[in-house]
Amino acid sequence: MIDYATNAVTDLTPITALGGTVARSESFGALSLSENAGLGLASLSLRKSAEKGQEAPQVFGLPLPGVGKATAMGAYGAFWTGRDQWMIEAQGKGEVDFAAMLKSEAPDCSVTEQTDGFVAFEIASANGAGPLEALMAKLVNLDPKAFGPGQVTRTGLEHMTVFLIRRAEDRLAVIGMRTLAGSLWHALSVAARRLEA
Amino acid sequence: MTRLSGGLIDRSKPLNFTFNGKSYRGFEGDTLASALLANGVQLMGRSFKYHRPRGVVAAGSEEPNAMVELRTGARQEPNTRATMAELYDGLSARSQNHMGPLNRDLLAVNDLMSPFFAAGFYYKTFMWPKAFWEKLYEPAIRKAAGLGSLSMLPDPDQYDKGFLHCDLLIVGAGAAGLAAALTAGRAGAEVILADEDFSLGGRLTMESDTLDEAEAAAWIASVKAELESLPNVRIMTRTTVFGVYDHGIFGAVERVADHLKEPGAKVRQTLWRITAKRAVLAAGATERHIPFADNDRPGVMMAGAMRAYANRWAASPVKRDGDAIAIFTNGDDGHRTAMDLIAKGANVLGVIDARAGAEALGDYKLFAGATVTGTKGRLGLTSIEITRNGTSEWHNVGALGVAGGWNPNVHLASHHRGRPVWDDRLLAFVPSADGPKGLIPAGAAAGKGGTAEALADGMRAAIEALSEIDVTASEIALPKAENAASDQAAFWHVPGDKRAWVDFQNDVTVKDIALAHKENMKPVEHLKRWTTLGMATDQGKTSNISALAVMAELTGKSIPETGTTIFRPPYTGVSLSVLGGGDTGNNFRPSRLTPTHHWAEKLGAEFVEVGQWMRAQYFPRQGETHWRQAVDREVLAVRAGVGICDVTTLGKVDVQGADAGEFLNRVYANMMGTLAVGKVRYGLMLREDGHLYDDGTCARLFEDHYVVTTTTANAGLVYRQMEFFHQCVWPELDVQLISTTDAWAQIAVAGPKSRELLSRIVDEFDISNEGFPFMGCAALTICGGLRARLFRISFSGELAYEVAVPARYGQALMERLMQEGADLGVTPYGTEALGVLRIEKGHAAGAELNGQTTAQMLGLGKMVSMKKDSVGAVMSRRGGLAEDKRRLVGLKPIDGQQQIMAGSHLFTRGTAQETGTDQGWVTSSCYSPHLKSYIALGYLEEGDTRIGEQITAANPLEGKTLMAEVVSAHFVDPEGGRLRD
Repeated sequence: MIDYATNAVTDLTPITALGGTVARSESFGALSLSENAGLGLASLSLRKSAEKGQEAPQVFGLPLPGVGKATAMGAYGAFWTGRDQWMIEAQGKGEVDFAAMLKSEAPDCSVTEQTDGFVAFEIASANGAGPLEALMAKLVNLDPKAFGPGQVTRTGLEHMTVFLIRRAEDRLAVIGMRTLAGSLWHALSVAARRLEA
Repeated sequence: MTRLSGGLIDRSKPLNFTFNGKSYRGFEGDTLASALLANGVQLMGRSFKYHRPRGVVAAGSEEPNAMVELRTGARQEPNTRATMAELYDGLSARSQNHMGPLNRDLLAVNDLMSPFFAAGFYYKTFMWPKAFWEKLYEPAIRKAAGLGSLSMLPDPDQYDKGFLHCDLLIVGAGAAGLAAALTAGRAGAEVILADEDFSLGGRLTMESDTLDEAEAAAWIASVKAELESLPNVRIMTRTTVFGVYDHGIFGAVERVADHLKEPGAKVRQTLWRITAKRAVLAAGATERHIPFADNDRPGVMMAGAMRAYANRWAASPVKRDGDAIAIFTNGDDGHRTAMDLIAKGANVLGVIDARAGAEALGDYKLFAGATVTGTKGRLGLTSIEITRNGTSEWHNVGALGVAGGWNPNVHLASHHRGRPVWDDRLLAFVPSADGPKGLIPAGAAAGKGGTAEALADGMRAAIEALSEIDVTASEIALPKAENAASDQAAFWHVPGDKRAWVDFQNDVTVKDIALAHKENMKPVEHLKRWTTLGMATDQGKTSNISALAVMAELTGKSIPETGTTIFRPPYTGVSLSVLGGGDTGNNFRPSRLTPTHHWAEKLGAEFVEVGQWMRAQYFPRQGETHWRQAVDREVLAVRAGVGICDVTTLGKVDVQGADAGEFLNRVYANMMGTLAVGKVRYGLMLREDGHLYDDGTCARLFEDHYVVTTTTANAGLVYRQMEFFHQCVWPELDVQLISTTDAWAQIAVAGPKSRELLSRIVDEFDISNEGFPFMGCAALTICGGLRARLFRISFSGELAYEVAVPARYGQALMERLMQEGADLGVTPYGTEALGVLRIEKGHAAGAELNGQTTAQMLGLGKMVSMKKDSVGAVMSRRGGLAEDKRRLVGLKPIDGQQQIMAGSHLFTRGTAQETGTDQGWVTSSCYSPHLKSYIALGYLEEGDTRIGEQITAANPLEGKTLMAEVVSAHFVDPEGGRLRD
């Protein structure tokens, strides 16, 4: 849970994507759903002007992953979003100017603040991959067997566009548009609740 | 009770149910049909057209007769096949399609009128008088049409959907399906085994055949246990695979809770989209009957179904114990039924076999070379007429089984226009090789219906399917089984003068087919439509081939020459609820909420759907009884003081890169690359065909960093178009695009006191007119260090700004502005006031940029730069478009209290109001509280030269016209002084 008061850089009080002052979390049997309000996001794109053959920079010590892959190290993570383009994640950096931090790591790249462009829901299973994959089967047209840890994709979920990151066998992040947070939470929670029945 | 011994029902679990209000008892494992039969109930419904008494004919999803309304209240569902309805305690069902009690249906009078209801009846009868059609015929027909009734209440159940992926989908869990599943499962392949039945085994559960010299049930149980132990196999019972779609996708409906009295927390049904690398079609076969005179009485059923009821459900087809049962067959299969019934202790009169050389398989009477030529019994069979060598005699029977051969279930194999092929030996259509790719028919569905051959064929199909995807599967040890004798004659119907039913559900007889032939409706497609054969809820599963055979006989052609029936999805009826996928009401589709949504909600705002967005439309205050009061107040507050409005919904595209300016020059019609850092410019985008596409502002925040603003409606489209140009047209440009619409909450602060209000929240930033003039932009901080973006732009025509902060701070910023501006009279305003303000100012919005308009029409033709090329620029100068003289004007009704409706057409005063004299149209209209008059915007021929003219605005839809004066589109501050102050 984020303590906004101590992290505040302004006297304005932020709200989470779901409209609360604290991140929402709920359990459904073996599955738990948590709004990750503290996740800082910024996109990083290579510039064309970069020398040909130049390798993608490392940011925060992270090697930038290949097509359809996600990596993580400590509080930071990166996932591929397009050609020469990645989303960089930073746990606990939802309130600060994470894009500025990233820009200083990769001054020759285009960096765009994305933290509040998205809402991140972290789904965890207390009973291995089974419940998570059963949930996926109700939500997205992906073969869970071909979507193991470290995989990322962008896909449709209940008519919404989302990034899915398989953080581990038993953990999945669903990152959707912030303004659709309520509808996305509804879709995820209804599907999880139905698995309980 | 006519319950037999044995069966796969659980006699320790009795279940009570009602049919037409009368109580009965069945057992777990029963279907409604088997339980009714076991209770001696033969009469289950009425036919569609003639209202003939009908009983159950089949034992599976092909059932045409025993259709009931299941459940009560909101869950009442018509046309439920009693053969597929699993019995549960408290089940309530009613027969359908009758007026009055089932056994005394008043509409049975239709049967007496049958000579008038021949094939093509509707087409021939309701031709005249023409005026009668709409008022009399159609309502009457509609009232009589349809089977069953709807509750007209909202469906209380939940429906779900999902996606599955596998190496091998096996459709059908009979002998072939189980052998395939075991073969593939042991090979480690990801397998889905689906069957519409609630138990595994298919026909194996309905036959007396042994496997490994033991009851088949023992083998089924062992296979089930093994498959359940394999993590790579998913067994889906109560799941109907109803269609084959492109790219190996199969549609399936799982009836999750249909076997329960109420679903409780469960969903009722789930729609699955199964993506399978390969599939085995092991859907079995459907028995066909032999039409003969009066063959539709309750008690007449398929011989295979009769055998199934006896073996699996221990239900006898007769009303009273001891009533005789006869079998009418054209092959060996009918004899199996006789043998099984005798083994169950039933009273078998004998077997009537159309083949002269037929031999009995056991100890029963054989009528070789004989046919059934008539039946008696008003509400149920009491006797049949057997004719042999021209001699007829009547025999008392309580039931008659009819065995006319088996049709492989080729349906799914013909979904990609795979045309089945005729097999002369089987006397049936079998799947062809040009069916859906990757779908391999096996077992009875492929014409291999003997138990031993079905088992072997299922295994073969699995090995073949998996070998195509590089999975090696080995042969498995199959149980010892035999193939029953299956000789049959090509005997399709018993000729005669009386009506002999081919399609039970839609009341199509051999006579109807003969009439269709006589009227030249010979092609099978015409036959179907002329007679309605196969067009009922059962889709003619028990009748299509028989009808084709009758037509072939009449035309003197072979069956394949006569035609081939192919099938479309769905295999059986699929409810719209499950296709809809579940959510209803507010959750029917996703909603986008602005960052200040919850704040606006608390304030009592009325919301309006704008695409997916929910936007605050206006903020009513206590005492305001009409929306106009709120909107007028909000508009005047902006013009006189300061108003604030959430404008987050406008699209925002972050454009970076060394070539960002060049890129923007190409997508905008006007010059954008020359924009100075810290400045904003209004821009127009054209479509490739030269018409207006979108408008908005473009801000240059830093040297190589721009922010493009789009209209709310076009946010996604413009971003997509920009990405297309970036990736496909000018990939050489160094430019990076990111949509940031959601990332930033943007609030418009508008009105003469807006600067004063903003000065109270910005951190050490000079927002004086000199320090931050009109069309300026800046990245700055507000409220003690929060990063923000400030734009000095105005949609309202007043001194105005838009301030953007990370979305999570949007609500707090709104609250802070309300708090800081209390003494300034700060007023929140919604989309209605926003619209009024921009119409008063003559600013274009979606109504003016409707895809048919040009920059010239907006009076902005000069914005399409001649100094550079851009999307649509050349096409905007083409003939036809460049000469368009319609121009945006303001319109003020002569009577200011009369509203000019948007959409009204404009005409020169005194001219006829016709297409040829049309002078333009009204795009937007509102009441201007500032002018205390209705006003409007519109496009008018040569409008820029007609200021002061009085013209007619016609609204032919409502039959209204009014006179209006053509004025400048800028009703407020045409010089633009206010927004520059």
